[in-house]
Amino acid sequence: MELRVIFDKKNKAAWNMALDEAVLMHLGELGPTLRFYGWFPPAVSIGYFQSMEEEIDLKKASELGVDVVRRLTGGGAVYHKYELTYSIVLPPPPGKILDSYRIVEKGIVNGLKALGVDAELSGINDIVVGGKKISGNAQTRRYGGMLQHGTLLMDVDVDEMFSLLKVPQEKMKDKMIKNVKERVTSLHNLGIDIEFEELQKIMGEGFKKALNAELYEENLPDKVLSQARKLEVEKYGSRKWNFKR
Amino acid sequence: MVAESGISRGRAIIKRGKLIKIDVSFREDRIEELKITGDFFLHPEEKIDELEKSLRGKSVKEIREVIERVLENAEYVGLSPDTLVEAVNQAWKRRN
Repeated sequence: MELRVIFDKKNKAAWNMALDEAVLMHLGELGPTLRFYGWFPPAVSIGYFQSMEEEIDLKKASELGVDVVRRLTGGGAVYHKYELTYSIVLPPPPGKILDSYRIVEKGIVNGLKALGVDAELSGINDIVVGGKKISGNAQTRRYGGMLQHGTLLMDVDVDEMFSLLKVPQEKMKDKMIKNVKERVTSLHNLGIDIEFEELQKIMGEGFKKALNAELYEENLPDKVLSQARKLEVEKYGSRKWNFKR
Repeated sequence: MVAESGISRGRAIIKRGKLIKIDVSFREDRIEELKITGDFFLHPEEKIDELEKSLRGKSVKEIREVIERVLENAEYVGLSPDTLVEAVNQAWKRRN
């Protein structure tokens, strides 16, 4: 398989989600496409089924200049700050959807291995190192294609994360923060401090191996970028979408 | 707490790895409105709207059949007919 790869920069939340969807819409013309990106300003994304108001302290997000956005994919709220994110669009492989998550997740596991980190898949959508989560992943099927995106934590500030996220029981918050600190890790915590751009290249090789693909770098055509701009304004930047649940 | 006669509201939160929250308003013993939120996965995602729509007007006793039918060919994690039935029943018991 030939896999188009785009080493992107850190973008606004609505643009990132819009471009993921625009690429998915154009899978037929683009062919399999992998994009690495980051988030600037930092952002909280919520899962497709979550409630914006119940998950995020919106006042705090606004104070800290943190973007908020609803994803096209399920799963939980994620604070994107010190991380590398990937998104990949592929023709759907045969078999169960839930079994296909790991095909892509192996790309991250391979990339981590190249960094000397022994990671493994956990459940459907997590990647762990020594039992601690370092990557979360989520997938959707739409427009005849498959989109999976996921995170790789380069560093993590659990206290800042919880200042933005609401928890079901406020009195349990301290306990939850302690729990998450024990259950989450990052490249920095593993003693690896690496440039964002360099990490993209290493992870690209990881996906290449996982998917038995040939990588080629090619930018997205204007048509796809215009589609993304439209989605950025009309969907991912809109109250209607972000607050729909 | 009764705003309108025959109307009551209930909420249930179930955590089994993933979190499911259900907010239901009942008219007598029937579901008038419900909203299912949480960090689960459901493919295809639009099934959630179909589920909420199909449950409107149903009594608590009728929901299992509806849920099983809607989710028949869906794939899910952290959400299942059993947990949804349990959640609606909890919301029913806790209604005010």
